[in-house]
Amino acid sequence: MLPLSLLRTGQGHQIMVELKNGETYNGLLVNCDNWMNINLKNVIRTSKDSDKFWKIQSCYIRGNTIKYISVPDEIIDLVAEEEQTLRTTYQQRNDSNRGRGRGDGFAGRGRGDASGRGRGDNSYRGGRGGGNNNSGGGDSSPAGRGRGEYRGSSRGGRGDFRGSSRGGRGGNNNSTA
Amino acid sequence: MTSSFNPKKESILDLQKFLGKEICVKFTGGREVQGILKGYDQLVNITLDQTQEFIRDAEDPLITTDEKRFLGLVVCRGSSVMMVCPTEGCEPIDNPY
Repeated sequence: MLPLSLLRTGQGHQIMVELKNGETYNGLLVNCDNWMNINLKNVIRTSKDSDKFWKIQSCYIRGNTIKYISVPDEIIDLVAEEEQTLRTTYQQRNDSNRGRGRGDGFAGRGRGDASGRGRGDNSYRGGRGGGNNNSGGGDSSPAGRGRGEYRGSSRGGRGDFRGSSRGGRGGNNNSTA
Repeated sequence: MTSSFNPKKESILDLQKFLGKEICVKFTGGREVQGILKGYDQLVNITLDQTQEFIRDAEDPLITTDEKRFLGLVVCRGSSVMMVCPTEGCEPIDNPY
């Protein structure tokens, strides 16, 4: 649980900030940033000796003057929920990127499987292979030789011209053109 | 003198709404001033006009007295700005706890 994440989750909650000079600021956290600069509203400022008090409508405190921040306990639960939500979202996004890649040919559509082999149907151009779109597809020219195209971080292999209207097959991820 | 441009919204503090109004600024080291906000930037460097500094207690430099000294037009360096708040709506109160 990262400190700044905790603080960010605490927005809209009552917090207590003690500064290096001993003063405390008790108020509603409006905003904060990566330097721990914070914006408070409806603040009660207490002097170092706790003998003087001020009411402040809103104030900005520079992060490097803060000694510590006291946050309410319920924020911990909120952070846990937020982290879980983020994890789920991230997982779903990853899952949707896996599986078969598709690539458009000139005339038809090419398909690529997760092993990085591209195959073009009724077109000159083979499909992109690979689940994460990094693997190379074969690109066959009308002359009958296929060239591997650079796709992201991997190179496609050499493809052979199969038939009169089929695209070449791309090689594995690791093969060089 | 006034900030005619809109500084990049890098700071969480929008000083735009305080332009032309009196604000109170506390500095690291204990100094406290108040003056009319004339300009600022994203580093929270601040230009104040008709500025007054609250003289501090000789015994304890962190305690300010009611005595003031007039500074006039000043530029406050952002790195030493500790706290900024509008003087309007800032008042001493009895112990709320």
